[in-house]
Amino acid sequence: MIEVRDLQKCYGDLVAVDHISFTADGGSVFGLLGPNGAGKSTTISCLSGLLQPTAGSIRVGGFDISTEAVKAKASLGIVPQELAIYEDLSGHDNLAFWGAAYGLKGDRLQQRVGHVLNRIGLADRASDLPKTYSGGMKRRLNFGCGLVHEPAILLLDEPTVGVDPQSREHLFELVREEKAKGTCVLYTTHYMEEAEKLCDELAIIDHGKIIAAGTLDALRAEFGGNDIIQLSGSFDQPKVEQAVNELHGEVLALAADTLMIAIRDGARSLPSVLQGISATGAEIHHARLSEPNLESLFLKLTGKDLRA
Amino acid sequence: MRFIFITVRKELKRRFNDPGALISSIMIPFAIGFLIASVMGGSGGSIKAGLLVTDLDDSFISQGILSALGQDQMADMITLEKVSLDEGERRINEGDGSAHLVIPEDFGQAWLDREEIALLLTVNPSQYVSPRLIREMLESLLDLGDYLHKVFGDELKIISQSVDSDGLVGISTADFSANITDKVSGIADLVLPPVMEVDDVTPEPEGSSVSMGLLMFPGILIMAAFFAANGQSSNFWTEKEKGTLGRWVASPNAFSAFWVAQWFTAMALTALVAAPIMLMGFFYFDITFEKYLSALAWLALTGPVLFALLSLIQVLAPSRKSGSMISTLVMFPLLMVGGSFFPTETMPGFIAGIAQYTPNGRVVEPLKAYLTGEYGSSGMFAELWGLLLVTLVLVLLTGSLSARKALA
Repeated sequence: MIEVRDLQKCYGDLVAVDHISFTADGGSVFGLLGPNGAGKSTTISCLSGLLQPTAGSIRVGGFDISTEAVKAKASLGIVPQELAIYEDLSGHDNLAFWGAAYGLKGDRLQQRVGHVLNRIGLADRASDLPKTYSGGMKRRLNFGCGLVHEPAILLLDEPTVGVDPQSREHLFELVREEKAKGTCVLYTTHYMEEAEKLCDELAIIDHGKIIAAGTLDALRAEFGGNDIIQLSGSFDQPKVEQAVNELHGEVLALAADTLMIAIRDGARSLPSVLQGISATGAEIHHARLSEPNLESLFLKLTGKDLRA
Repeated sequence: MRFIFITVRKELKRRFNDPGALISSIMIPFAIGFLIASVMGGSGGSIKAGLLVTDLDDSFISQGILSALGQDQMADMITLEKVSLDEGERRINEGDGSAHLVIPEDFGQAWLDREEIALLLTVNPSQYVSPRLIREMLESLLDLGDYLHKVFGDELKIISQSVDSDGLVGISTADFSANITDKVSGIADLVLPPVMEVDDVTPEPEGSSVSMGLLMFPGILIMAAFFAANGQSSNFWTEKEKGTLGRWVASPNAFSAFWVAQWFTAMALTALVAAPIMLMGFFYFDITFEKYLSALAWLALTGPVLFALLSLIQVLAPSRKSGSMISTLVMFPLLMVGGSFFPTETMPGFIAGIAQYTPNGRVVEPLKAYLTGEYGSSGMFAELWGLLLVTLVLVLLTGSLSARKALA
């Protein structure tokens, strides 16, 4: 459904997307995970034909987005990061307009608008103007405008930014429904919890490059079965690094007040880790043991926090 | 084409959902027009100064001045009303009238004897044009009096003496008349124009003279179109900032369709805003309603030339704020020079000449000519294609310049 080959997008000397490649299939959710400014939105803009790539090729629904733009765009549904809705047009009219923009008309259009209004939970507010909606309701309408025409491919660019937990769960449910219908969903986010919950496959992107890709399990395997121990307190950095090496662990992050290490069989190793680190003169206030997740993987790969 | 229609409908729905802005587009030009017409001396009729005159002299000289002010072209501009001194002072103090002229006792005799005497003119400070008009006319009459003394000094002296003695003294009436005729013949080549025969081939407009209000009316209509166009042209920034323009570009529709839809929306909005103003104007100025649809069609088709111009400015501007600022800077001088605030008939010649080269001037003048009966509808629509072509070029230019900006 989506086939990206060696995509590059430059703005003068700035390389926003640096030769990335990936494929995403129907009936699956492909996640692009990365911090703000990593190149996720630029990638989405190239995929949707809003930006012309500097190099590389993009095929959407079997059509090249540069040379067969109209056919390629017809298969796309876009949910941009900003609230791309008309505040001075009712919820119903917003959906009807964007449905008509993709060729729906007559009964079919009204049927789809009614269905989507129900699905996004706005049926009882359909005739109200979005300027009277809450933030979560506007997000849902923004989402609805992208899927009213039943696209084969849905591009979701950080769709849950600024959304309350209830509306977020509602949106997750909609994504899962689309996936179940066979839609190919491309989902960008900088929330690793969302990526873990929703995505079948992931690409972690930083500074315009894909630094890791695969299924969630495959990415976790990057840790080689290690667990994560996070400590907070006060640490002497050179001594702590040496102590972790002696414990056969790997330092993922180390600062004056935090330490994160990857270590095999974390539950069993925890007492010796605490003892070894304390022996360096460190004060430990808090310790947490967890399985490796995308955040720790990102930290391991880039040496920085995903939310930075 | 279907999508353009859908977009126009969507745009109109958006405007209807903001009725305050729509009503303002109608009311603001109407209010401005009313104010300007009031300042210029009346909301509907021609500019006419009201002169209150107290003639304490009541001589043939003072009556001659009043006759001169009440004749021919002067009578078109000044309404003369004889009042007592008290009434004149009271009414001018109440602002009733443009000026109050007091001709003092013995004015006629003093003028004949070339003695110094003052005419008292009290003007209404709340009016600007009319009091100046009266003052200038009086000054012209007094200058004329001075020239009469220079040319017919001897004869006037005789008349002066005769006023006292009830008859011409020491000269026969025939000699007196012959002297005056000789002098008039002597200066005829200098002061009288050569005799010319002029055939006036300009057909008279229907009815009598065209009122100031009617001259201003097309300008008020185009002002309404201008305000509607200004709001519509900034829609580019609204859609860009909201992200709906991005959605549009990502849809399978051509980007040029966006601008064509905006153009058609500007036409519909112009018609929508102008229709009620035009209806009131047709009633007020008693214009035949046969002209209503043609005039509305003309305005709806040509008014969007302003939308196209303002859209180009918006697209060339680096931001919404600077776009609005530049649009305003362009809009108001165009309204002034293009005959929207003031009719070209009241402008100095060189500014009226410039008006022909402004887009709003090109819309206003044929419409004015049509409403006043100078043009038929075919005369007005003869200028349609040129305006449509200019609009199309501006829209295409705007579309091509904005395509890249839409995505930036």
